[in-house]
Amino acid sequence: MLIPACGRNKHDAEVNTIDSTLISQYIIAGIVIGLIYSLMAMGITFIYSIMRIINWSMGEFYMVGGYLQYIIVSRLIGVKVWYIGVILSMIGVFLLGMLVQWLLIKPMFEGNVEKRAEYATIVTISLGVLFVNVAVIGAGPFIYSPPGYSHNTQILTLPLSGTRYVAFIGTIVLLSLFYLFLKKTWLGRALQGAAQNRIGIQTAGINVFRLDQIAFGIGVALAAAAGALLAPEFYLYPKCGNIATMKGFEIIVIAGLGSIPGVLCAGLLLGLIESLGAVFLNPSFRDVYGFLFLLAILAIKPTGLFGETERVA
Amino acid sequence: MKNISDSRLSGLSRYGLLLALLLVVCLLPFWTGQYYLQVFTIAFYYVVLASSWNLIAGYTGQFSLAHHAFAAIGGYASALLVTRSGFPISVGILASLISSTLMGLILGVLCLRMRAIYLAIATWAFAESVRITLSMTYQITRGDLGLAVPKLFLGAGRALACYYLFLGLAVLTVLTIILINHSKMGYYLRAIRDDEIVARVMGINTTRWKIFSFIISSGIAGIAGAFYGHYNGLLTPVMVDFNEMAFIVIMVVIGGIRTIPGPVIGAILIEVLTETFREFGEIRMVVFALAVIAIARLYNEGAMGVVRQLAQRISIKGRHGKV
Repeated sequence: MLIPACGRNKHDAEVNTIDSTLISQYIIAGIVIGLIYSLMAMGITFIYSIMRIINWSMGEFYMVGGYLQYIIVSRLIGVKVWYIGVILSMIGVFLLGMLVQWLLIKPMFEGNVEKRAEYATIVTISLGVLFVNVAVIGAGPFIYSPPGYSHNTQILTLPLSGTRYVAFIGTIVLLSLFYLFLKKTWLGRALQGAAQNRIGIQTAGINVFRLDQIAFGIGVALAAAAGALLAPEFYLYPKCGNIATMKGFEIIVIAGLGSIPGVLCAGLLLGLIESLGAVFLNPSFRDVYGFLFLLAILAIKPTGLFGETERVA
Repeated sequence: MKNISDSRLSGLSRYGLLLALLLVVCLLPFWTGQYYLQVFTIAFYYVVLASSWNLIAGYTGQFSLAHHAFAAIGGYASALLVTRSGFPISVGILASLISSTLMGLILGVLCLRMRAIYLAIATWAFAESVRITLSMTYQITRGDLGLAVPKLFLGAGRALACYYLFLGLAVLTVLTIILINHSKMGYYLRAIRDDEIVARVMGINTTRWKIFSFIISSGIAGIAGAFYGHYNGLLTPVMVDFNEMAFIVIMVVIGGIRTIPGPVIGAILIEVLTETFREFGEIRMVVFALAVIAIARLYNEGAMGVVRQLAQRISIKGRHGKV
């Protein structure tokens, strides 16, 4: 009982000395982690908005991204150029995602698949099991961690570990690039079109299956980026994607399925709630507060904060 | 929409086959060793979970990914009640039924008004939350150390008694699901799965029936979990690991989703294979996952489909022979 007792004392001490600095620190910490979570949710919601399926193996792609980053950074190029590692692992997982989409998801739209959502759920869950167990066989049940990317820094009042700072900045950069890609490039606009109307875009002469493949690749590459950025902070083990996927799913239900700006707001909200819940209530249950918030949202506004009422074709 | 009643085997020979199978299973303990007796006991536990999951996921089309969590809730509810306040185990099992159906009701009311996908996501998050809560409330549940549970049937014949207990549970579950399937409710559920909007247009209160089937399957899982706890003597949060859920999905899909015997065959097959090839470690799960992907991708009906086709081919040949 030694370690929990210590934690409890520390927690009590924090509660006793709550002041404005501390509150601001927790708010900033919540924003930082919330934005990082939304990177994960962005991939899930992006894939959903194009193909109308949930990719249940998202956490496993996150894990693969982390492992790739570990191999690249600690064996090949060194930690000083970690950003190249992030880009390389994103490219690797992008290609893997394209392959998976071509092999397993694309047949969903052809032939006689009776229930698409059901097929996709079964296939991607099994894919997750496959990846986890291949990781156990390949790398063993050990915990890996690449060296930290940067020195510790400070954001306003909050002293922050270098890795989390890097992940925060990296997420901002990636999300901005993603936004620019969607709004400014031809491919991004085509993807937006596919999200609006899959048949309409085919009449405009666009190969929607190729778009699906690219969308799936981009979606899982976003998860891989989260995995690569967070690898030194949250460590790597075969099931390390679980918590990240859970946050991602919570965010997309809170935001409402298929809403991309909603994901950002819901991610920040989730980060804030976890952070403030940890300081005011009990830090042990910080991973549960998000779920309680999700239940509250479902009770008050079942379509999510930004979701539109379901339109049935 | 196929189900087992489409099978060309005539009713009489089917019931005869079932009775013969049941007899074999009843006599099985007399020529398996002690080890496989326990393997089969656990296999029957999975038959209960897989069959009840098939009711909500296969027949109703609502993917609950917290079936293992309901089993754990039932297990912990019963175990805590019995150890903390000294009630007899039967009261504990009643409590497990109440607590798991109650959780099912709350989740169902909140999620089942929405698209099917919301239930899957919310139950996924629910299961993870249950796991975290169980390991964090270590003052009550002893967290990852595991909770020692009072055992059922002490004494020499314990393994045999538990074997028959779980066999009985499995048979009871399958019978319940057959009954539901042949009742009006079964038609409602299949209509909801096939086309929810048409079902609503036909005057079926879809939300109510979805919640109802979710509660039933959660309740069955809760009872199974309670018995499992009292059989095993130890409960840990590992019970709510996602691997358990994946295991149930694998069993149902390999056996044949949306068939009554499918989950039964799948659960027994997978559990026995897992135990027999234990020395191969994680390779087993890789093989199972590949098998599920292959079945979903190429051949939708699982082991039951193979059996049914064989039966059809034999009966057609037989008829040709007579003519």
